Amino acid sequence: MLTIKDLHAGIEKNEILKGVNLQVKPGEVHAIMGPNGSGKSTLSSVITGREQYEVSKGSIDFMGEDLLDFDPEERAHKGIFLSFQYPVEIPGVTVSNFLKTAINETRKAQGLEPMPAKDMLKKMREKMNLLEMDKGFLSRSLNEGFSGGEKKRNEIFQMAMLEPKLAILDETDSGLDIDALRIVANGVNKLRSADNAVILITHYQRLLDYIKPDFVHVLWNGKIVRSGDKSLALELEEKGYDWLKTETLAQ
Amino acid sequence: MEQLKDKLVSSFMVIENELNNPDWAPVFDVRQKAMDHFETKGFPTKKDEEWKYTNLKPILKHDYKLFPKRDAEAIEFKDVKRYFLNDIDTYRIVFINGIYSSWLSQTTHHGFDVCTFSSALLRYKDELSTHFAKYADNEESMVALNTAFARDGAYIHVPKNVTVNKPIEIVFFTTGEGAEVMTQPRNLVIADEGAKVQIIERHRSLTDHAVLTNVVTEIVAEKNANIEYYKVQNDNVSASLIDHTNVQQARDSHVSVGTFTFGGKLVRNNLTFVSNGENTESHMDGITIIGDGQHVDNHTLVDHKMPNCYSRELYKGIYDGNAKGVFNGKVIVHQDAQKINAFQQNNNILLTDRASIDTKPQLEIFADDVKCSHGCTVGQLDDEALFYLRSRGIPEYEAKALLMYAFSADALDYVRIPELKTRLNRIMGKKLNVDLELSL
Amino acid sequence: MSDILDKVTQSEYKYGFTTDIESDQAPVGLNEDIIRLISHKKEEPEWMLDWRLKAFEIWKQMDEPNWANVTYEKPSFQDIIYYSAPKKKKELASLDEVDPELLKTFAKLGINIEEQKRLTGVAMDVVVDSVSVATTFKAKLKELGIIFCSMSEAIKEYPDMVKKYIGTVVPRTDNFYAALNSAVFTDGSFCYIPKGVKCPVELSTYFRINEAGTGQFERTLLVADKGSYVSYLEGCTAPQRDENQLHAAVVELIALDDAEIKYSTVQNWYPGNAEGKGGVFNFVTKRGVCERNAKISWTQVETGSAVTWKYPSCILKGDNSVGEFYSVAVTNNYQQADTGTKMIHLGKNTKSTIISKGISAGKSHNSYRGLVKMGPRADKARNFSQCDSMLMGDRCGAHTFPYIEIQNKSAKLEHEATTSKIGEDQLFYCNQRGIGTEEAIALIVNGFCKDVLNQLPMEFAVEAQKLLEVSLEGSVG
Repeated sequence: MLTIKDLHAGIEKNEILKGVNLQVKPGEVHAIMGPNGSGKSTLSSVITGREQYEVSKGSIDFMGEDLLDFDPEERAHKGIFLSFQYPVEIPGVTVSNFLKTAINETRKAQGLEPMPAKDMLKKMREKMNLLEMDKGFLSRSLNEGFSGGEKKRNEIFQMAMLEPKLAILDETDSGLDIDALRIVANGVNKLRSADNAVILITHYQRLLDYIKPDFVHVLWNGKIVRSGDKSLALELEEKGYDWLKTETLAQ
Repeated sequence: MEQLKDKLVSSFMVIENELNNPDWAPVFDVRQKAMDHFETKGFPTKKDEEWKYTNLKPILKHDYKLFPKRDAEAIEFKDVKRYFLNDIDTYRIVFINGIYSSWLSQTTHHGFDVCTFSSALLRYKDELSTHFAKYADNEESMVALNTAFARDGAYIHVPKNVTVNKPIEIVFFTTGEGAEVMTQPRNLVIADEGAKVQIIERHRSLTDHAVLTNVVTEIVAEKNANIEYYKVQNDNVSASLIDHTNVQQARDSHVSVGTFTFGGKLVRNNLTFVSNGENTESHMDGITIIGDGQHVDNHTLVDHKMPNCYSRELYKGIYDGNAKGVFNGKVIVHQDAQKINAFQQNNNILLTDRASIDTKPQLEIFADDVKCSHGCTVGQLDDEALFYLRSRGIPEYEAKALLMYAFSADALDYVRIPELKTRLNRIMGKKLNVDLELSL
Repeated sequence: MSDILDKVTQSEYKYGFTTDIESDQAPVGLNEDIIRLISHKKEEPEWMLDWRLKAFEIWKQMDEPNWANVTYEKPSFQDIIYYSAPKKKKELASLDEVDPELLKTFAKLGINIEEQKRLTGVAMDVVVDSVSVATTFKAKLKELGIIFCSMSEAIKEYPDMVKKYIGTVVPRTDNFYAALNSAVFTDGSFCYIPKGVKCPVELSTYFRINEAGTGQFERTLLVADKGSYVSYLEGCTAPQRDENQLHAAVVELIALDDAEIKYSTVQNWYPGNAEGKGGVFNFVTKRGVCERNAKISWTQVETGSAVTWKYPSCILKGDNSVGEFYSVAVTNNYQQADTGTKMIHLGKNTKSTIISKGISAGKSHNSYRGLVKMGPRADKARNFSQCDSMLMGDRCGAHTFPYIEIQNKSAKLEHEATTSKIGEDQLFYCNQRGIGTEEAIALIVNGFCKDVLNQLPMEFAVEAQKLLEVSLEGSVG
C-alpha cells in the first residue's frame, strides 16, 4: 500500500529526514516511536504534503502512484488521513458543515454524487455513538473552544466519517486521560479492516496496549534505526531511548 | 489663546539671542524652524482630529509668566520631601519654575550621566545633535513650541551594558511667585546597547495660581536596552500638563512606560512608541482616577515598523463628579512588520452621570500575518461583587473602593520599583477616599 | 499560498454587461434649471421643487468631505447627467409589458422576476436608472393598507405623508452628499406600513446603474407605524464601465413606537477592474430613527464599488429601543471601503449591537468607522461591538476607527476588535481533509462572516454567499 524509499526531507536547508525506508501493507498497524525532534511529525507532514517541507531525495509510493506528485487535498481524496497533533480552530465553521464539505469534495474527486443529507446524518450519528460523543458536537465551531480530549476525539470522528485507506495518527494519545484514550483506541480498532492500514506516531507505549501494532519502528535522527514487534516498544519503555542511541552510534 | 500665542512669539524674539549664543549652536536651526511652525499653526483646536475631545482654550486664556526668576531658596527640602521616594536612595534632578535646583538634586557623571539638559547642551554636543528634536513630532504645534523654548530639563545617558544602580527621579516644582506660570521642560533619555535604567517623572505645583507645563521627553532605547519610565501625575487642580513622550526602540529593547494620573486640571498625555528593530517589547500602562473639574486625555500611538515585535497596552479609568476622560489609542502595523503581536485594552468606569468618557481605540494594519486586538469597555462596578463583599461585612463605601482598586490594579503589574508601587497604592487609596491598606 | 490567493482574488466581475434600453436624459451638469427640469419631468408639486432648490442652496455652501480613509479622484459634479429615464410611456400591468431586454438582464443576474414572484413571494419595485418601471404585488399589499411604491408616485399620491417625513431623519444639511441627493434625487422607493400590520412579504428593490455617465441619486423613505413590522431587501449589481460613476443615495427609516424594521442590503456595484480603473463611488447616507420600544436592524453585505462611504445608523430616541448593525465588507484589488455605523443612544434602556466583519484582499483598504454615543438621558444603555478584520495577502490594509462617547454612568459598553489572516495551518488542515484551497477559503470566509450572514433573510443569504464567492474565489456557485 505505502512504500517509502530512502526519503530525505526537511525545511528550507535543514534536513530532518535522512533516508527513511518503510513499507506498509493493507491490514497492518505500524507504530513509529522516537524521542523529540527525531522527525516523526516531519514524516507525517511529508506523507500528507505540507508545503513547507521539501523532499530532496527518495520516493513515496501509495497504491502504485507517486504520492509526491499530488496536492494535499488530492492525497486526501486518495485515502490518506492525518489525525493532527494540534488540530486547527476554524471559527464559525461547524463540525457538520466542515465534514459535509470534506466528504462531498472527496466524493466529487472520485466521480460520485454528493451524499444525500439523510444518509450523512445517519452516518454521523452512528460514528458519534461509536466515539461516545455528544449530539451538540456537530453544531459547534470546528475545534473552537474544544478541550484537548474533544479535539482528538473529533479527529477520530472525522477519520470514521472519511473512511481512509491509510490513517496516520500523530500523537493522538498525548494529553488524553485514560478514559478518553480507551474511547479513542476503541474507535480506531473498530475501524480497522483487512483493506486499510494505520500508522501510529507516539511517544508512549501505553497507546500500544490498546491498539496492538504489528510492527514497531524507532525513528532517531531522521532514520529508522530499529524495527521489531510490540516487544520493542516494551523494551523502549523500560530502557528509554539512550540505550538505542548508544547502540546506533556504536554501529 | 491668541494673546498667549502673541506673547510666546514675541518672547521668543526677546530671548532668541540668549538661546542662540554659540554654546547652544547644535540646536540653533531646529529652534528657529520649530518657532516658525508654531507661529503658522498656532495652538491646537478642537477642529484637529487629534484634539477633537480636548479643548485647550480654558487653560490658554491665562496670562502666564514665561520666564520666572530664580526662586530656589523659596523651597525648603522638608516642605517637598513627600514628593520624593524617601524609603530608598535615588538620583534626583529637580527644577523649580523650570530652573535647575542643584541643592535639591543629586546628579552624577560617574559611569553614566544624570544631569540637566542645559549642561548637556554645553557638554555633549554630539549626543544632542544626534538626538535632540529628532523624534518628537515637530508637526505637532505643542511639541514645536517646546522645542523652540527648550532651555532645561533632565538629561540621562547610560552607556553600553551599564545598569543604573538606583532609580532616577525627575521632579518639576512650580511656586509661581504669586503669578500664573508656564514652563516648558525638555527631557532626553538615551540608553545605549544593553543599558538598563528606571526613571520616575513628577510635576508638582506649590501654588494655587494656574500653572501650565508643556513638557517633551525623548527616549532612545538602543539594542537590547531596558528602560522603565513612570509618570506620577498627581498635581493640584489648578495645574495643567501637556506631555509629549516619544520612545524610539532598536532591536531587542524593552521599554515600559507607566502613566498614573490622579491630579491636575487638564492633563493631556501623548505617548508614542516607535519600534525600529525586530523583537522589541513595549509596555504601556495607565491608571486615571479623577473627579470634579478634571479632564484627562491619554493619546497613545504604537508604530510597528519591524517584524516580530510585541506591544501591550492597558489603560484603566475611573471618573467621578463631572470629570471627563479621553482615550485614543492607535496601533499602526506597517506592511513589512509581520508577526506582530499587539494588544490594547481600555476599561472605564463612570461613577456619576456628569462624568463622561470619549474613547477611540484604533487599529491600522498593513501586514497580514499579525495578531492584533483592542478592547474597550465602559461600565460600572459589578453589583454581584459589591453585594458579595457587603455580605461579608465590608461597608458599601469601602467595598466600592476595594472594587475600584481591584479594577485598576492590574495596570500596576509592570511597576517594578516596590516603593513606587506602595506610593501609588497610597495615592489611590487617598483618591478613593478610604483608609485601607490597598494592595492585592 | 500567495499565488493561490492572487488567483482566487482576481476573478473578473461577472455582472459586467450593459442593458440596451433607450434613455431619455437631461443635459450634462448641475444648476437650478436642471433641478427644475427634474422636478417638472416628474410632475412634482411646487413644495417638492422648493425643497429641492433649498437643498441645492445648502449643497453649494458645503465642501466635499475628506475625513474618510479613502483616496480617489473627486467626481466633477458638472460632468454628471442628473436625470435619465427609460422611455416608457404607459403603466405596466404585467411582466409581459416589461422590456424583454430588462427581463434578460435579470435572468443573467439570476434574479428572475417570475421566479421571485412565484416562489418567494417577494414583491419587487425594480429601479433601472432612477425610475421605476415595474411594480408588483401592489394589489395584495394594498389590502393590508401597505403602501409600497416609487418615490415619484408617492410624491404625487401621498404628498402629506412624504412631506411629513422626508428629511426628518437625514436633513438636507446633514452632509455634502445628502444635500446633493436632496436636490437632485430622481426616484427611489417609498414604503408605509400601517399601525399593527406585519408585512407578510419581504419588500425588495433591485437597483442598477445603467446609463453611461449617469449619477444615480436614490431616495428611500420607509415608515413603520406603531406596532408594525417590515423586512426590506435592497440589492444591486452594476454594469462594467470605464469611467467612475457616482452613487449617492439617501435612505431614511422611521420606526414608530413598538415597530420593527429590518433592512438588508447586498451591494455589488462594479468595483473597477484589477488595475483599479473604473468602478462606482458609493457615498450613501442611511439612517433610521427608533421611537419607544422600536427596533431597527441594518444588515449589509458589501462586496462592490471602487470607493464605499457608508454608515447605516440608528438614532435610538425612544426608551427601550434597539439598534443593530451587521456588516460584511469585502474589498479586493484597489477597492476602498470606509464603512461602519453610528448608534446614538438618547432614550433609556436602549440597546445596540454592532458586528462588523471586514475582509481585505489584493491591494485594497478596508476601514471600519463607527460611533457609539450614549447621552446623559440614556440610562442603562447597552452596546456591544465586535469588529473583526481578515487580511488576505500582504499588500492590503485593515483599519478600525471606533469613536466611543459616553456621558452616562449607568451605560455599559463593550468593544472588541481583532485582526487576523487566513492561516496556512487552517488551509492545510482543510486540504488534508480533501477540501481544495478555493473551497477552503470560501469555507473559512463564510465561517468568519457567519454571525452576519445569519441575519439575512434566507433568499438573500444565498445571494450574499454567492457574492462573497464571486468577490474572492472566481466561481459563481
